[in-house]
Amino acid sequence: MEFEFLVDKELRKIVLEKKEGGYCIAYGENQVTADIQSISPHVLSLMIDGRSYLVYIARDKEKKYIFIDGQQFIVQEPGRETKSFHAGEEKAQEGKLLITAPMPGKVIKIHVVEQQEVRKNQTLAIVEAMKMENDIKSSVEGFVKKIFVSVGELVDSEKPLIELETKK
Amino acid sequence: MFKKILIANRGEIAVRVIKACREMGISTVAVYSDVDRKSLHVQMADEAVPIGPAPAIESYLNMDRIIAAARATGAEAIHPGYGFLAENSDFARRLEKEKIVFIGPNSTALELVGDKVRARQTMEKAGVPIIPGMNSIPKDISEYEVAAKKLGYPVMIKASAGGGGKGMRIVCSEQELRPGLEAGRREAKSAFGDESVYLEKYIEEPRHVEFQVLADNYGNTVHLFERECSIQRRHQKIVEESPSQALDPALRAKMGETAKKVVRAAGYNNAGTVEFLLDKNKNFFFLEVNARLQVEHPVTEFCTGVDLVRQQIRIAAGEKLSFSQKDLEQRGHALECRIYAEDATKNFLPSSGKILFLKEPKGPGVRHDCGVYSGWEVPIYYDPILAKLIVWAEDRDAACDRMLAALNDYAILGISTSISFLKDVVNHPEFRAGRTNTGFIKNHFENWGEKEKSEDKLRLALAAAAFDSINSGPSGKKVVGGTQKATVSPWQTLGHWRLGEGR
Repeated sequence: MEFEFLVDKELRKIVLEKKEGGYCIAYGENQVTADIQSISPHVLSLMIDGRSYLVYIARDKEKKYIFIDGQQFIVQEPGRETKSFHAGEEKAQEGKLLITAPMPGKVIKIHVVEQQEVRKNQTLAIVEAMKMENDIKSSVEGFVKKIFVSVGELVDSEKPLIELETKK
Repeated sequence: MFKKILIANRGEIAVRVIKACREMGISTVAVYSDVDRKSLHVQMADEAVPIGPAPAIESYLNMDRIIAAARATGAEAIHPGYGFLAENSDFARRLEKEKIVFIGPNSTALELVGDKVRARQTMEKAGVPIIPGMNSIPKDISEYEVAAKKLGYPVMIKASAGGGGKGMRIVCSEQELRPGLEAGRREAKSAFGDESVYLEKYIEEPRHVEFQVLADNYGNTVHLFERECSIQRRHQKIVEESPSQALDPALRAKMGETAKKVVRAAGYNNAGTVEFLLDKNKNFFFLEVNARLQVEHPVTEFCTGVDLVRQQIRIAAGEKLSFSQKDLEQRGHALECRIYAEDATKNFLPSSGKILFLKEPKGPGVRHDCGVYSGWEVPIYYDPILAKLIVWAEDRDAACDRMLAALNDYAILGISTSISFLKDVVNHPEFRAGRTNTGFIKNHFENWGEKEKSEDKLRLALAAAAFDSINSGPSGKKVVGGTQKATVSPWQTLGHWRLGEGR
């Protein structure tokens, strides 16, 4: 069977076919035969050419976290990746910019008011998480369109904090 | 000796103390906030007492509830761990009144060294070299401006009650001073309940070298050599080692004796750490006393063979030190990496979430002090330290190799951690050469990103993901994962047949 996965935003294809003595793995030009054994719900052993590779795997909704010999991969099913933008980044749309919380935490200060003009890199708000203060900065020059939160509010990651309108 | 000890802390350090108590035949009492019901320390202790809501100020910093818990369980002593109430002299004093033993220094010494400003005055008087800076907390912000100008920018804002980088800020110009002070005060207030901050001259690119000390209640004082903790981000240590590459035997002896002088000048007892900054010309300055067990204490335990938590408990129980300075020696080399829930590619932003799977590294000379487990949810309320990985080997090179191997063997799946970042730190040529200073991360790791991953491993990962999609599910049921495409599609084999084209 052919599988498609997203790894680091890149689509990867792999073919895994069951056959006698294990599985045939075809990836790009390469083709190998592996005996795959499940050791525990989180551990697989892939025996390839007389060497066992231990693979640790954990699942969370549409993601699989996979660890092999010091490297971690987050493997996602395509089409099911989160539609929302990444935490802490902004979503720009027609000159509007949504500033979101980079992590779950508490809003401890809002430095701006609606309609205020802001410079690039100006600190808009401070969100505290795990006892550290994190400055939420403006990445553009513009105006504060709307403020969605108030001081003392607990926010989740990706929660919209402030909407900016960029200067034309 | 005590029969029962309450541990007023959480996470890996509470676990560490519980383990020492177990070995000593002492019963343990854990305390926990609402979000920590499932935490490891709660599971391990002999008894556990809930002490309130998640915010630390209402639970782990709530003295009334902690003292009530000790009373209710009959604990004779309280170990505060590090952070929270560990360096709170009001807490130590209240315990003295309540006739509960505080496993730490006496309240007078704690108050003195906890007040960084008064400590500076005392040490200056005792002839200990200190960093130029303010020797009192001003009432008005303008006094900071005057002092900063006099010291010359850059200056350092520090919390008088501080530690762990909280409330700390480097200020490079007058414009940055006021917002820096405000932020520093707020952080200090929320971390320590005291908003006092002061200014010190910022020493550029120093090494951070600290000495572990132990003092019993009878005036016997020893130092257990140094730890170098120059590798820091956000003014918080992330890699520590012993011995320091910057000290020779003469300087080590001199600094060790100065550390003991600090302890005596402060009337200090129990375990403590005397922190120094060592400048490029090998001048050292007293920074502060950390009046608690340090996060990085295992490094010293490896090199000296002394169990510091056991010593703390013995001293608190009124026992005399069973060894003297000449009995102590440094052996081999130890390294510690702190494992934080954070994203090194996003300016070390804390990450929270569920640890889906944890695989601990193991092996000779490898120690993993851990406060978490597979399936545990990391709360947002506390310091994001998850665990510490400590290794020991005959020399520094071997210790670095061992650390790398252990980090390679270490998986925490489900949340972002500092593991791959730490690998690159320990592997960095400047680190391997021992050329470290507190600017190390800023100088060598600005805009760090994870290295290109190996194609071979990616192939294995994809094969494993595909296998997993076919074979496993929550209850062994077949679940559809990935986008499965039958390699031979029925649509390709049906020949001339089109949908909606009825004849």
